[in-house]
Amino acid sequence: MKYFDGLNYYEILKIPENSSFLEIKQAYRDAVSIYGEDSLVTYSLFSTDEREKILKIIETAFLTLIDGNQRAAYDRMLMDSGQSDTKFISGQSQKQSQPVFDPGKAANDDPLAADATKQIQADEEKQLSDEILSKSSVSGNDLKKLREALGVEIHEIHSLTRISVSVLNAIEENRLESLPPDTYLRNFLKLYAEVLQIDPLKIVDGYFKHISMVQNTD
Amino acid sequence: MTEIYPIGGGKGGVGKSFVVAGLGALIAKWGHNVVVIDLDLGASNLHTLLGMKRPKRGLNRYIDKTVRRLESVAVPTMIPNLFFISSMHCSMEIANLLHAHKLKIISAIQKLPFDYILLDLGTGTNFNTLDFFLTSKEGILIGTPEPTSIENFFRFISAVYFRILKQTLKRSEFHSAVKDAVTEMSSAPAGTHDILKIVSKYHPDKVTDLKNKLSEFKFKLILNQFRKNMDSTLGNKIETVCNRHFHSNFQFLGNIRYDGQIHDAVFSRTLYVHKYPHTQSSSDLKKIAEKITRNRRPTSLPKEIS
Ligand SMILES: Nc1ncnc2c1ncn2[C@@H]1O[C@H](COP(=O)(O)OP(=O)(O)OP(=O)(O)O)[C@@H](O)[C@H]1O
Ligand SMILES: [Mg+2]
Repeated sequence: MKYFDGLNYYEILKIPENSSFLEIKQAYRDAVSIYGEDSLVTYSLFSTDEREKILKIIETAFLTLIDGNQRAAYDRMLMDSGQSDTKFISGQSQKQSQPVFDPGKAANDDPLAADATKQIQADEEKQLSDEILSKSSVSGNDLKKLREALGVEIHEIHSLTRISVSVLNAIEENRLESLPPDTYLRNFLKLYAEVLQIDPLKIVDGYFKHISMVQNTD
Repeated sequence: MTEIYPIGGGKGGVGKSFVVAGLGALIAKWGHNVVVIDLDLGASNLHTLLGMKRPKRGLNRYIDKTVRRLESVAVPTMIPNLFFISSMHCSMEIANLLHAHKLKIISAIQKLPFDYILLDLGTGTNFNTLDFFLTSKEGILIGTPEPTSIENFFRFISAVYFRILKQTLKRSEFHSAVKDAVTEMSSAPAGTHDILKIVSKYHPDKVTDLKNKLSEFKFKLILNQFRKNMDSTLGNKIETVCNRHFHSNFQFLGNIRYDGQIHDAVFSRTLYVHKYPHTQSSSDLKKIAEKITRNRRPTSLPKEIS
């Protein structure tokens, strides 16, 4: 039996070093479904003690990588100790594109061997994001729905983007009077979209369209 | 090149013999020369799953030296290119198999002139069963998607490791403390870890070698009697966990769907994949057979293509 000897946090969560916030979250969920207390897979493999130790390590890995500052420090440590061959510091290297909704990923002809539950979930997320992106205007409510479907909390967006929770709430609740000036708002929406890995341009345009529609009906 | 796949799994009735018969038939239909060998000594039933009557000759003729070559006791089946070696008339139980006979059988199997050799093993982790499992450098484990069966996967893997360690550590160059530890230790998953620890105390230079020895053996996993609404990611998760926490390489080959007709096929003594080629279970077996053959071309031309 081996444990996590010699594995770094990325390896423990089985993710590449440039993983995005959402990928880290998903990897953590997967790890807990394998090592959690009521997992069918490992209940007979580990003692309670071993399981607790393993879960603790997984949690530490997750909490470190999910926090921008801690992750940057950890990445530097990996590089300095020669454990990483990545030339970038996290933040710069993190993927900001939309790999989660890669349509190629959704097609799978082997439902039994494939990760079906995850697939269904990913399909639903994709459907929702497609639906939102296909609309010419995007409301705060749309953003909220998508965020919740992805299992992302408001405070997580806050800790990743440093946008204050009250502004994030104002965006999601369409409270125009509480929104920051346009240039700031534009940048905030872009960051928000990047965390959820959806097209920032469409979100920014759609949201501004939504605002002007609301203002015109007043 | 001959590929030998012993097929085991701790639990009884999970479908080892069914899978051996099914995979053997499919691979033979693709034109490869295949032999399936019943090594469930004392509880042979592979012939039934192949849709055959009890064969008259088998392994016993080779052990009692009536024939010189093991391939002489391989009988044809209803599938061209698929042959069968029975252990029906072997009077011995697996537990009473003579050491010399076991070695003789293993080395004869390794020399058989076939493309694919599938070994149907009995239930449990008896040391003779483990030695048959170690006939090759890779073996297939079969279980069902149930807690007890998954527990048996781990138990079987640990028992295989333990057997490898035991065989290696009994050699004279090892310290008696190490030898004692192997005799006393249980073959629980943690046992391997404990033994390696003791070895690292007395022979720090040999630990890497030992670990390499364990990692030389490759495991493939199959989940049989899989039902519709079960977690289809289970096999992949087991693969992940095994690759992580054991020393060898593990590959999940796939799920095989539960089908009540399999029971009927056994009762009417027919070869399931032959009689029901288009069911979900047959198509699952086909996908697994494809992974095993990796689309390798047959060395001889098929006599019949279906
Ligand atoms: N996928 C399946 N769906 C439905 N029934 C199955 C399936 N696979 C096997 N069975 C049933 O389970 C029975 C036991 O299968 P099999 O004899 O192959 O198990 P085994 O692992 O070889 O058992 P033993 O340890 O006794 O040798 C079969 O007779 C068959 O009826
Ligand atoms: Mg059997």
